[in-house]
Amino acid sequence: MKQTEAIIERIRRINTDYQHLELAYDAAMGKIKPGHSLLARLHDHYDPYLRVQWWPVGLKAGKLLIERPAAERYEPGQIVNVIGLVGQPYRFRRTLRNVLLVAYDSPPTPLLMTIPWLLGNNISVTIVLLGKAIDYNTQHLPPEVEIIHGDADINWSNAVMTVGWADQVFAVVGHDDESGRFQRLMERFRELRHEVPQQYLFGVFQNIIPCGAGACHACMIKMREGTSLICTEGPAFDLAQVVLT
Amino acid sequence: MTIEITRPGKNSLTLETPMMPASGTFGYGDVYRDFVNVEKLGAIVTNPITYEPWNPAAGTRVVPLDGGILMHTGLPNPGLNKALKRYRNLWTMLPLPIILHLVATTADHVRKSAARLDGEDSIDAIELGLNDDVTWRQADEFVRAAVEKTDKPVLVRLPLGDANEIADAVQDAGAGALVIAAPPRGTARDPITGRLVSGRIYGPLVKPIVLRMVGQLVRRIKIPLIGAGGIHSTQDARDYLEAGARAVQVDSVTWVQPQMLEIIGRDLGGWIVTRATDALPDEWYPGMGDTEREKQQKAQNLSSTRADPQSS
Repeated sequence: MKQTEAIIERIRRINTDYQHLELAYDAAMGKIKPGHSLLARLHDHYDPYLRVQWWPVGLKAGKLLIERPAAERYEPGQIVNVIGLVGQPYRFRRTLRNVLLVAYDSPPTPLLMTIPWLLGNNISVTIVLLGKAIDYNTQHLPPEVEIIHGDADINWSNAVMTVGWADQVFAVVGHDDESGRFQRLMERFRELRHEVPQQYLFGVFQNIIPCGAGACHACMIKMREGTSLICTEGPAFDLAQVVLT
Repeated sequence: MTIEITRPGKNSLTLETPMMPASGTFGYGDVYRDFVNVEKLGAIVTNPITYEPWNPAAGTRVVPLDGGILMHTGLPNPGLNKALKRYRNLWTMLPLPIILHLVATTADHVRKSAARLDGEDSIDAIELGLNDDVTWRQADEFVRAAVEKTDKPVLVRLPLGDANEIADAVQDAGAGALVIAAPPRGTARDPITGRLVSGRIYGPLVKPIVLRMVGQLVRRIKIPLIGAGGIHSTQDARDYLEAGARAVQVDSVTWVQPQMLEIIGRDLGGWIVTRATDALPDEWYPGMGDTEREKQQKAQNLSSTRADPQSS
């Protein structure tokens, strides 16, 4: 990990709700992979106090694309103090052909960095948007990605087929009740599939992360065996191993 | 430069630099290895450890506040035995004193833990953390339980609310130093869930409250005081030393600006006189570019001009 500075080189409004920041970053931070994030700080004062977790959604000509709400104001040339890389890359299976990404009451932003990588490796990608996530505008996503809109009760068309066909599933949920939503998602998958195997359904946790280094233990979760820190061992965990309370 | 931060005696604790990270903010000593040169710090205070393992708290852990945060982790830790097994080698290898923060749960657990730590070479001192509801009688019992079982210095971190009331009892019970204070407790509404959450408050606003407490206690307490709370700059740390604290503990600024910990340690440790005349800002202020440095110098010049209007 490294604390360094990055420069916002370009800002592109991708739809009415989101903008993409093109970030020139310090290559010494390491190779950014899906699952990594940055903790960003845009000012010298302490209000807001904590760094904001920025999720990269892609790489473009060596610049990192960061997705942020359109309501936030940024300027080209703006310097951002960043800590990174936070977290571990998503653990994809070696024999992967179909991946299902699920966003339930949350924008799918933390999952989007996987798309160019998966498509580049001839792996098909389907995104299911559930609950409040159906409002997420998907126009900027590549046309190869299949997008399915479901409802707030975790129903969508051809759900049994989609779930059975997926080799791995990565899900983000609204973080006002992350544990409860992951639990509901897990129960729904058990209804849709005879057996939910190990290393199949991964939850991507989006807790507020104060330190990003594993010092404060504010993001510790209980696992079937011991505990894990979302900031250093996550953000994705096999939901079959997490104790959801 | 060495500073004795506990009461004089054959086992008193001396530091090269009068600063250390506060318990709960620096992990167990190795998580900030990429950000902070630990040799610039005076000591490392470990995250809180209990005699038996504790699990993380359920529900909301962090609530953002204006200029700070409220945090409730539940002090998850693997328990004393596992912590020693896991971190003993690391603590032995680190080139500075290790202060193990022991959460005072019951007198029996404190007694057993102190006895266990007495023969532990990787630990230089114990910091006993008292909870916020502790009475002076309980505080007295906890400290006596610790000091009767170990020759290592026992520092005691007091809850802010009752520090005035408990300090005398803790001093008389044999504490080596007092840490003033644990982050204050508060309650705030979590904007995401809408629920009220209780926890400890971190941020720059804590400093004036704790600084006043240090100023009050230093007049009547005979053992060394260590100031802890809201330090976000070298000047904040110097304010505590000026108020009478023997050393300081730096807390949540480590999370938001990890390199500030090293900068404070370096400046308080007298390293500042060793700066090479041709050192680049990046070498001297890690992560800081020329523009940032010039901006800070301009701000400093401006404030000194304002403070001394005759000079213009």
